[in-house]
This record gives sequence, C-alpha cells and structure tokens, in this order.
Amino acid sequence: MKIRRLVLLVAIVGVCLALVTLQTRGYGAPAGDVVALVTTPIQAALAAVPRAALGAWSVYLDWKGVRAENRRLRAEIQRLRVDALWVTEAADENRRLRRLLDLRNRLPVATLPGEVIAREWGGWVRSLTINRGRGDDVKRLTAVISPDGLVGRVVEVRLGASIVQVLTDPSSTVGAHALRTRTPGIVEGEPRGTIRFKYMARDGAGLAIDDVVVTSGLGGVFPRGVPIGRVRAIDDRGSALFHYALLAPMVDFARVDDVLLVAGEQMLDFAAYFPTDG
Amino acid sequence: MRALLALTVFGGGVAQATVVPALRIGDVAPDLPLILVVLLALRRGPEVGGLAGFAMGLLQDAAGGGIIGVQALTKALVGFAVGALAGELLGTQPLVQVPGLALLTIAEGLLRFGFLKLFHFPVPFGELMIYVVLPQALYNGFLGAALVFALAWISTYRRQVS
Repeated sequence: MKIRRLVLLVAIVGVCLALVTLQTRGYGAPAGDVVALVTTPIQAALAAVPRAALGAWSVYLDWKGVRAENRRLRAEIQRLRVDALWVTEAADENRRLRRLLDLRNRLPVATLPGEVIAREWGGWVRSLTINRGRGDDVKRLTAVISPDGLVGRVVEVRLGASIVQVLTDPSSTVGAHALRTRTPGIVEGEPRGTIRFKYMARDGAGLAIDDVVVTSGLGGVFPRGVPIGRVRAIDDRGSALFHYALLAPMVDFARVDDVLLVAGEQMLDFAAYFPTDG
Repeated sequence: MRALLALTVFGGGVAQATVVPALRIGDVAPDLPLILVVLLALRRGPEVGGLAGFAMGLLQDAAGGGIIGVQALTKALVGFAVGALAGELLGTQPLVQVPGLALLTIAEGLLRFGFLKLFHFPVPFGELMIYVVLPQALYNGFLGAALVFALAWISTYRRQVS
C-alpha cells in the first residue's frame, strides 16, 4: 500500500517536473495543446453557465424594475388624469363665471348670482334649484337669466334655496316678441321639453326660421329684450287664429350651472346686453 | 460515484477560470480546486487526493495559461499530504477547517513559489504573499468551511430521507 502511494507520488512529481522542464526548454506548446484539447470545451460550457445566470438575473432585475416603474407610472397617470379633470373643470367654471360676471357688470340693474344645486327634469315639472333663498332677499317671480338668455322665474323661495321654473316647464308662459318682425306672442313650455312661440296669425306674417324671440317685458315679471330662443320650425295652421313656431332655447337648461337673479328694476330693455346676431 | 468524482475533478479544475471569477470579493478569488482537493483527500485518502490535485492543477494550469505542471505538482502534493494525514486531522471541526484551509493555501503558495524559483522564474515573494496568497487563504478557509457544512447537511438529509 505504501509502495503504491510512493510510486504514485513519484510518478506525479516526475510528470510535473518533466512538463515544466519541457516548457522551460521551449517544448511547451504541444503539452499545452494536448491539455487545451480537453479543457477548452469544458471551459466554454462552464463559461456559458455564469453568463446565462447573470443574464437571467439581469432580466429578472429589469423585469422587477419595469414592474415597479409600471406601478409608479400608472399611479402617476391616475393622479394626472384627476388633476387634468380638475384643471378642465376649473377652467370651464372660470369661463362660465367670467361670462356671468361680465354680464352682471354690464347690466344696468342689481343682480344676484346663484349656483344651480339641483334639477328637476321629470317632464311634469321642469325646474332648477339655486343656492339663493330667503336669506338673500330673493322674491317670488324674480327673473332668472344667464349670459345666453332667459332661464325662467323663481316660483318658490325657501330658506337657503329657490326653485326656478324653467321655460320648458309645461306651465311656463312668457310674454315675448320676435326681434326682427316685432311679432308679439307668448312662449309656452311643452311637456316634451321644448318651447313654442304662440302668436296671432295676422301678426305673424314674415316670421322666418332663425328669427330670435325675446322677452317683451309686458307683465312686469321679465325685463324686455332677454333672448328666449330661435325659430326652428313654423307651424302654419292656415286660417286658425293662432300660429305656432317651434323654438330652440338659447339656454341649455340641462347644463346651465350659474345664473343671475334680476333683483332690481324689471322694466328696462336688456336687448343691448345679449348678443343675438339677429 | 466515479462519475461524480471525475465531474468534481474536471469541473473543479476548469471552474477556477470560468465560474470562480464571479465569486470575487474585491480582487480576491478563492482557489476552488485546492478546496476540492483537500475535501477529496480528507474523504478518499492520499491516492485520490494526489491524483485529484494533479488533474485539477493540470487543468487549472492549462486554463489559466501558466506553466503547465506547477499547480499540478503543488496541488498533488497538498492532496497527498492531507490524505495521508487525514486520520490525524479533525477535518470536520469548523475551528480546524477555516485555519486549516488557510494554512494549506499558504503552504501551497509557498510550494508554488519555491517551485517557480527552482526554475528561475522571477516572483516577488512579499507582494505575492500579501496581495494574493494571504487574502486567498482567508477566503479559502471560509468558503471551504461553508462547503463542508453544506456537504454535511446534504449527507444528513439523505440519511434522513433513506
């Protein structure tokens, strides 16, 4: 056993010394080639392992980073969307209030601004609730206008709010006339949510599509000259006493948010303060 | 078993130039073939230790581009010596493994140095010891101990399973 070990040891030492001697004497290349023949493929295979592992690790880190970034960006997009909505809303409100303020400053009477806080749109009744009430000294039948035209009148005053009957309410009637032809008549609300201009046939000659109908000021509820609507269709009933014109309201009652309550003198002519192009 | 032994020898010999660089701490890399030679020698005796040291050293020489035969000789001698003294050593004790492997690394370094000097190769002893051999000895000590622990855990687990 000991001899075998000794022989092995001597053989190993001998081979090693021979290899080193050969190399120091310039015969190293063949020995290196033989060893390289065995080692190179294994080296190549083993070299691929850490590269693959590092590659996989790097991909994992990238994926993890992208996932985290994705989460962060999603949250940021969400926040920016909300911000954008706020900005859009604020800009829109700003534009509306500027128009209202501009009208308020131009009008020769005292007005009270109000904000629509509720809408009743059932068909039987069409009304708006505004945030001005008894505490603001709002009176029943106060005219309510917007920069686009007439909205309606206050029909009920409560402690902190008022109910405004809009023009499309079936029980709403407003004394009016066509701006161009001066044809007098009455604007009535209809259950289907539209408004029509009812006028006497003998006065209606010459009324045409796109004519603007404004308040007449008769009755003392509404100031004169506030736009109500534009003629969309004329219902000629031949020899009937009254003819009708279907109007497109100037005010979009479904979207109006800010209004003015005309608190002062109602007998003035407001025509100059509303652009009607007609 | 022999296949595993061959794989260990070949793999260990070539891994030094391929896998081990990834384990570098700073500029210090462990000498994995030396650790494997010591482990094999402790378990299989001087013949296997010597032959494994020779083969791994040879592959390491070839892979590293040095003088072929130097590490083959030093590692064979270390394997042989450890295998011969295995009965006298408390190789399973961590307090022996860490300093033992460190000392063996230093011994192998000194042997390599002496061998190269014998063939008149210019090797600066001080710098070699401070910057290469001693840090590597420390690294080998801890890595070797970790490997011993891992092997002991695996064999315990296998015993429990079987």
